Amino acid sequence: MINTLYAMDLLGTPLAFGAALLIGSAFGAVLERAGFGSSRRLSAIFYFRDMTVLKVMFSAVLVAMLGLCYMSHAGLIDAGSISLPDTVYGAQIVGGLLFGVGFVMGGWCPGTAAVGLASGRLDALLFLFGAVLGSILFNELFGLVKPLYTMGHSGTVFIYDTLGLAKGTFVLGFTIAGVVAFWASELIETRMGTGRLDRNAAPLWVFTFLLLITAGTYYSLPPAAPDAALPVQAQATGQAETRHPGIAAGRIDLERHLVAIETGEDHIEPAQLADRLMAGAAGLRLIDIRSAEEFAAFHLRGAVSIPLPELALHLDELRNAETVVVYSRGMTHAAQARDALAQAGVPNALLLTDGLEGFFRTCLKPVSLRAEPVSEAFAERIREWRRYFLASPDRRAAQPLPAAAPAHVPGLISAERLAAILTEPDLRVIDTRPQPEYNTSHVPGAVALNPESLRGVVGGIPSMLLPADLLARQFGALGISPETHVVIIHGDKVHDATLVAMGLERLGHTHYSILDGGWQRWHAEGRPADTRLPSITETVYPVPPADGFTVGAEAVLAASRDGATRIIDVRPAPFFTGKASDEARAGHIPGAVNRPFTLDLASGTTGFASPADLAKAYESLVPLRDGRVIVHCRTGHQASQTWFVLRRLLGFTNVLWYDAGWTEWSARPELPVATGDK
Amino acid sequence: MSEHLTPSRAPVSPEPDNEPMNPYLAGTLLGLTLLASFLILGAGLGASAGIARLGAQCQLLIAPEHVAGSEYFGAWGGRPLNYYLSYMLAGTFLGGFLSALVSRRITVTMERGASFGFLGRAVLTFAGGVIVGFASRLAQGCTSGQALTGSALLLTGSLVFLVCVFAGGYGAAWFFRRQWHD
Repeated sequence: MINTLYAMDLLGTPLAFGAALLIGSAFGAVLERAGFGSSRRLSAIFYFRDMTVLKVMFSAVLVAMLGLCYMSHAGLIDAGSISLPDTVYGAQIVGGLLFGVGFVMGGWCPGTAAVGLASGRLDALLFLFGAVLGSILFNELFGLVKPLYTMGHSGTVFIYDTLGLAKGTFVLGFTIAGVVAFWASELIETRMGTGRLDRNAAPLWVFTFLLLITAGTYYSLPPAAPDAALPVQAQATGQAETRHPGIAAGRIDLERHLVAIETGEDHIEPAQLADRLMAGAAGLRLIDIRSAEEFAAFHLRGAVSIPLPELALHLDELRNAETVVVYSRGMTHAAQARDALAQAGVPNALLLTDGLEGFFRTCLKPVSLRAEPVSEAFAERIREWRRYFLASPDRRAAQPLPAAAPAHVPGLISAERLAAILTEPDLRVIDTRPQPEYNTSHVPGAVALNPESLRGVVGGIPSMLLPADLLARQFGALGISPETHVVIIHGDKVHDATLVAMGLERLGHTHYSILDGGWQRWHAEGRPADTRLPSITETVYPVPPADGFTVGAEAVLAASRDGATRIIDVRPAPFFTGKASDEARAGHIPGAVNRPFTLDLASGTTGFASPADLAKAYESLVPLRDGRVIVHCRTGHQASQTWFVLRRLLGFTNVLWYDAGWTEWSARPELPVATGDK
Repeated sequence: MSEHLTPSRAPVSPEPDNEPMNPYLAGTLLGLTLLASFLILGAGLGASAGIARLGAQCQLLIAPEHVAGSEYFGAWGGRPLNYYLSYMLAGTFLGGFLSALVSRRITVTMERGASFGFLGRAVLTFAGGVIVGFASRLAQGCTSGQALTGSALLLTGSLVFLVCVFAGGYGAAWFFRRQWHD
């Protein structure tokens, strides 16, 4: 997915100004090269002497159109990526006709006049003076022309929808029309004695061939977004009727239903929906009836995907919902789905007015791009909506994190918060620093634990996290019970704390936190310290069944081939590429990507990078919050830190740990190894 | 390339060393520029908005309170030029200037047919500018923002605008033909 400046609401920033200046320069240079710095050439099209304007413009439209088609098909851009000018029939018809008259009088249009002025044309200068004055005139007469300015306002309308054609069909037809226009232009120019068909024929043949191949291929592509299959929807209605014959056949219900349509009670307005969703959406079921692909590309936060053909399978759960809102891209399919639901006995089924497009237009279009004046209060609401719904259009993981609030376990705890709860019962502080440092000074009541004592030989593999029964004994000896809040403190190695956390995770003990910044921050903030040893009453920690996050080599091998699992190797880059090695073989697991664990730490400190930075770094590696991830390093120690980041700081739900890591993998010759960057 | 050097039928002087680019190549490059604008900015090309912003700025210098209170320009605030399309217009001028400089196509002249008067041409181009400036605001865009950008996006209104521009142009062409007679 490409994040445009528009999608990020950055069009009003210096970054966009700089980009616009550069793009404008390219625009001006191309216009000039095409010969559009001359009003004589520009207006010649109206006298059939020189058709260059048509050739250049139509070529540009076709090239950009085909480019957009393919990018949209590949999912690189979606409805929120690009600003779409509204269709306003009245204004555009009258404006277009007037514009044409002005164009032929002046011999310029705004963009070419800028190039003409740059080429020294005095008529371009006068034309631009006129255009500035014409703009001012429009402002002065706005009160009078306002009815025309909004006449026939229809929102975002695509020509293929207007014509009732499939997009691919229109694209192919439009391309063919362009090619015909090019050849006709050449013929016209030859007739007028101004043409150069001798020189233009060869390039035009090449261009014709390329355009038709590109458009023809697009036409024959399977649609990326089949908006709906209507026969199935009819089937949904029919099925419901057999189940609820009384409701569907009831004339009174039908009347009530029709009255609801008449009075608009079957709609919910975009702004109303946005506010309800942001308020927590209690009792609201928001259904996206577009295809699963479209849903994956973008959906309203809080929506669930039930493609239209599958709606019939969910009738029972929808009947029990307080309110059901269905939406599609536009209105048609959602309205049909809403009717089908109402007739199938789903009470309070509503459709989103103007669909996703309307939602974008009303709630998410940046203030800077709105033609209509916007009050400051409404602008603030737009900004709030954009923050909530566009935090990251297609990646949940990048939504603002809970910032690892102090009381949030498992997670990070601030030194301030730990100091405040030090005296509470059921708190156990574990210090993972080397014993001499612990002996010199530690947090009052803290107990020393060497993280290596949680590891040993399992199945012949060294440095494996001990089985649950042995861990239960160890944590029991520290006086920890399932109710204990465990706070782990690290020295200069954050992954010492996360390894202890892995031990707790294996026991299913999630009531733990890691001291943010470790001992260094505690010490730097002048928090209390002690040299006494704590008194501890041993407990018997119950032994749980096997944990669900540790995987072995076979699972990793299968994952390296399924293409659906992200394998992250967190070792330093030289070990990943194979340049350095202290194991049986050098390199990495085929298909794995390298994200050294040290990158997750804030540079120059002993703490994690900010949640926003972490989310940004991982959003491209793991696009979905429930995407399957396997992390590993050499022994499992460093990877425990990445596991904690993904699972506990970023909230990814399907994070697995290959504890045996490169130690095992490299030593088993039957397992494949890759080297280099990929 | 002043007008009296231009041969009678050719639309521009065909000096071989600064002949315009092949129109299909130019069109392809223009299409790629537009595509780059879509992918980077998330919006297409535009020229008339920059001109209108310039108009708002000019009017602000003369009558700030009047502009702030006006319904159309007023929505743009106190610094109307602080907008990405103002910068795009500046870029268009800059890019055009550099290209014209390199290909030696800069000629200070009032382009017109040899038999048409200087003043007549000046009046026509100025009046054309006024109409285009007004019409661009009405249609919310010009040949760049509507005809090019909107057509590439396959938007109905933009294609309607494009057709109407040519309808208006061809309809009026006969009345203004003399300005190009040599």
